[in-house]
Amino acid sequence: MADSDPTVVERAGRPAEPPPTAEPGPPLTFEVKNLSIWYGEKRAISDVTLNIASNAVTAIIGPSGCGKSTFIRCLNRMHELVPKTRIEGNVLLRGEDLYSAAVDPAIVRRRVGMVFQKSNPFPTMSIGENVVIGLRLNGVRNQKFLNEHLEKSLRMAALWDEVKDDLHKPGTSLSGGQQQRLCIARALAVQPEVLLMDEPCSALDPIATAKIEELIHELKSQYTIVTVTHNMQQAGRISDYTAFLYLGKLIEFGPTTKIFTNPSERQTEDYITGRFG
Amino acid sequence: MIAPRHILGTFDEALASLRNNVLMMSSLTERSLDRAMKGLFDRNDDLCANAIADDEEIDQLEIQIDRDGVAILLRFQPVASDLRRVVSAMKLSSNLERMADQATTIARRARKLNQHPPLAEVELIRPMYDHGMSMFKDSVDAFVREDVDLGRAVVPRDEKLDELNRTASRKLIERMAQDPEQLRGYLNLIFIGRSLERVGDHATNIAEDAVYAAAAEDIRHQSFVEAS
Repeated sequence: MADSDPTVVERAGRPAEPPPTAEPGPPLTFEVKNLSIWYGEKRAISDVTLNIASNAVTAIIGPSGCGKSTFIRCLNRMHELVPKTRIEGNVLLRGEDLYSAAVDPAIVRRRVGMVFQKSNPFPTMSIGENVVIGLRLNGVRNQKFLNEHLEKSLRMAALWDEVKDDLHKPGTSLSGGQQQRLCIARALAVQPEVLLMDEPCSALDPIATAKIEELIHELKSQYTIVTVTHNMQQAGRISDYTAFLYLGKLIEFGPTTKIFTNPSERQTEDYITGRFG
Repeated sequence: MIAPRHILGTFDEALASLRNNVLMMSSLTERSLDRAMKGLFDRNDDLCANAIADDEEIDQLEIQIDRDGVAILLRFQPVASDLRRVVSAMKLSSNLERMADQATTIARRARKLNQHPPLAEVELIRPMYDHGMSMFKDSVDAFVREDVDLGRAVVPRDEKLDELNRTASRKLIERMAQDPEQLRGYLNLIFIGRSLERVGDHATNIAEDAVYAAAAEDIRHQSFVEAS
């Protein structure tokens, strides 16, 4: 049951409850504690506390403007690229505070990779170069190592068989779905611990979407995945845990089966059944 | 609590249509059972014939509800309370169809009984009928009003119906030994009692589905769950 699940920590308007200590819960990748984020005067995230389990898919759902993208961007400090951003609270990655002064944001973004809504391969680079550019920028020069990681990353992104004979062709020559998998391969090449996905399928057709969903399912054995989606059926299909955000607040968080069969909060029920949003 | 309307109006219409068909099916089933039992108590063959004729319309409604339910699952992919309502409506229609089959069985047996002199023992059946119909009405009410307490309260009442059936059967078997001339009549009454006992089982199923639809709680086979 969700109420006894250690990952269910907080609901809006209630104090955060500590995870039960009687039984060890699933290993956690992120512990987000009382997180608030402002863009200038506007508060985009309000006092969110939740734990993200390792080797699981956590989906963030909610209507447009509810803070979904802001929330996942704060998991690798991408939101800091927006001027006048302010943060309160803590984000711990495997126990380490991502926002402590000693932490280099570039290292954080290597550990926590990101895939965006629209595929964005580097247009001047070949398929192969797109995949290994992250390793090159990190100073890797050994061609054998690069080749190994090129193939491994493309295989993990379920793209190798489709592109192995065309690695020299431009990344932009691929279809939309292939480009998105190329971006996933690029993110995987630097061996992150976490993959953040911000609406990774919203620009794709149903077949390409199904391939990405299958890929997400396969990748979760090795990575912690946090995905933002507007598509609730997709959240139901691919995620183990679901968080519902509304107006920057965490309304409900728990196992996906619980959220989609018997949510505890009326607002969650109304949103997922299409009664508001 | 009345749920607010969906943003997608066609979804509301589809759910309302499904619900209306379930309500129609349950009132036809109730009428069919009433006609069959009145046909027995009043020795009225026309009522028995009407009860048997009702079955076809009820069968058609079962098909319609199944078809509409599958269409809603396919087209709208309902979740949470919407999903539970659709699944429960489909299960409810299946139970109603079987209840209507019991009404047909009762009507056929009543017609056979009506061909012979009346048996006083028919009164052994009346308390079962009263009890079974009250369970049936309350279980449908629990579904319609999403009344968890009422649904939960129906389930243990099946025990009493089972007991009434055992008692009636025992007495009818005794009468068969005492009056072998009327053996066929007593046998028909035993089968009618068994049909009413089945009506109680279906009412229990409906009450359990009503609780699931309203509260997402599965209360089936509680004694088994508790024992294990």
